[in-house]
Amino acid sequence: MESKNLQTKEKGAVGTPRKVQSVMPLVDIFENDDEILLHAEMPGVTKDAVKINIDNGNLSLFGMRKAGRDGAPSWEEFGDVEFQRAFAVPQNIDVAKVKAELKDGILCLHLPKSESAKPKTIEISGS
Amino acid sequence: MITRWSDIDRMFEAMGLLRGRLDSMYDDFDRSFGSDPGWRLTGNYPRTNMFDKGDYLELTAEIPGIAKNDLNIKIQGNYLEISGTRSASVPEGYSVHRRERGSTSFTRSFSLPADIDANKVTATLTDGILTLSLPKAEAAKPRQITIN
Repeated sequence: MESKNLQTKEKGAVGTPRKVQSVMPLVDIFENDDEILLHAEMPGVTKDAVKINIDNGNLSLFGMRKAGRDGAPSWEEFGDVEFQRAFAVPQNIDVAKVKAELKDGILCLHLPKSESAKPKTIEISGS
Repeated sequence: MITRWSDIDRMFEAMGLLRGRLDSMYDDFDRSFGSDPGWRLTGNYPRTNMFDKGDYLELTAEIPGIAKNDLNIKIQGNYLEISGTRSASVPEGYSVHRRERGSTSFTRSFSLPADIDANKVTATLTDGILTLSLPKAEAAKPRQITIN
């Protein structure tokens, strides 16, 4: 294990305070009769580090990502990131039934429409 | 009327200060577009980090939404190639409102700073981050030299 001492540390690699950059995650938004489905790209964000708020027609997504950085960096293209994005959601979303899952760095958000907002076919009653 | 040279010096100092402020402001502005690949060169997709951990190198790459089976990793000596595809399929029965994450296919290759023992390489994919642990070949490992 003594070989560990031999790694070279480059200049500025130790103890440089780094700003957490704030990034807008890319999203796909789909809709069907029952719900609105939102996919947001948040690579490296764990389940506990995601916050989803729906308040008064505003949906905001937060996700913190810590990039591990021990050892001597040869190159670094990404670091700690705070994913942040806000959307306006229509009033007819049933907030109590919103579901979210996280898979392969993609946040899937299901926003079900409330019963009254679903399209209905009206039957014409017989004469 | 300017009487002393020190006044002029001071004036330039103030200008330098202002320029510094502007520079850091522009940096912040650029940063806010961090991961949006829309108007970026595709040359460095996916973004990667590489750390030398003594006995092995560790490479991490941001590849959200790409499944294990759609990834290919090739290693030969100190040459590493990562390629993959993501198909942008719309979920069944949904109509599209907004599309920012298109389908992609990418290849990125690296010259590693050391030769790699290809048989001992391990790769894991968690939360959209690919982590490759690349043990150095025996000859490339750091060695402690003791002085007689």
